[in-house]
Amino acid sequence: MTERRGTFQEEALPHLDAVYRFALRLSGSPDQAQDLAQDTFVRAFKAWDQYTPGTQCKSWLFTICRNLYLRQWERGQRHDRIVAENTRPETPGGDVVNPLWSAVAQVDPEGQFFDAIVDEEVLRAIDALPEDFRTMVVLSDVEGLSYQQISDLVEVPVGTVKSRLFRGRRRLQKVLYEYAVEMGHIRGNLGGS
Amino acid sequence: MISCREALRFLHEFLDGELEGAPSEQVRAHFEACRRCYPHLQLEASFRAALRRACGGPCAPPELEARLRAALAEAEKS
Repeated sequence: MTERRGTFQEEALPHLDAVYRFALRLSGSPDQAQDLAQDTFVRAFKAWDQYTPGTQCKSWLFTICRNLYLRQWERGQRHDRIVAENTRPETPGGDVVNPLWSAVAQVDPEGQFFDAIVDEEVLRAIDALPEDFRTMVVLSDVEGLSYQQISDLVEVPVGTVKSRLFRGRRRLQKVLYEYAVEMGHIRGNLGGS
Repeated sequence: MISCREALRFLHEFLDGELEGAPSEQVRAHFEACRRCYPHLQLEASFRAALRRACGGPCAPPELEARLRAALAEAEKS
């Protein structure tokens, strides 16, 4: 094995699980996620000379992964959804008081109903988000990237990251709450929601 | 103490670790002391924990790492 491959494997391969998880959420398919993750690492290896050792390797791999996904895998309905979402105006901030939490606080202030929701249902809700919202929520809430790291990765301003995170989370919260009400995990008290 | 509206305005930055120093402490102190706002912090944290639990599980299948090492060796030749 050459020194180049040795260095790459030492620095990049530890992020294989994270890249696979990200690819899985992007593609929605374990088979496609494997291909996408493999393509990501091969592409990264070929571009390894452009990488500065010790910098944000995981973010760099996520960037490659997402770019590959958008180029090679985005088809049909999901593509339509991205275009539709991106044509909508950004509404940064929104109301600081989450009306859903105000209502839920009356019956389940600790949010225990989330523990009753099966993981598959959470994943279904995430996968149903438009790609740009899904990417931001996964990178922030699952992978723990900072606003600035996501901004650099997705190439949008930090304000847009915050806005899309806000909207993506609110959508997910509403979907999961409605599911929990339907399943009887929590008493619905939103009056028609 | 900062107002409820200010605390809720910084809720996401606080949970995302984007606040540092005094502002972070002010937000923390508000949520610890305010019975009306505290559930907003708890609910938001529980929501995020559910996301991490659901998404954090899957690891790359063992065959992927083997495939990948072979692909890297191949890429090195070309």
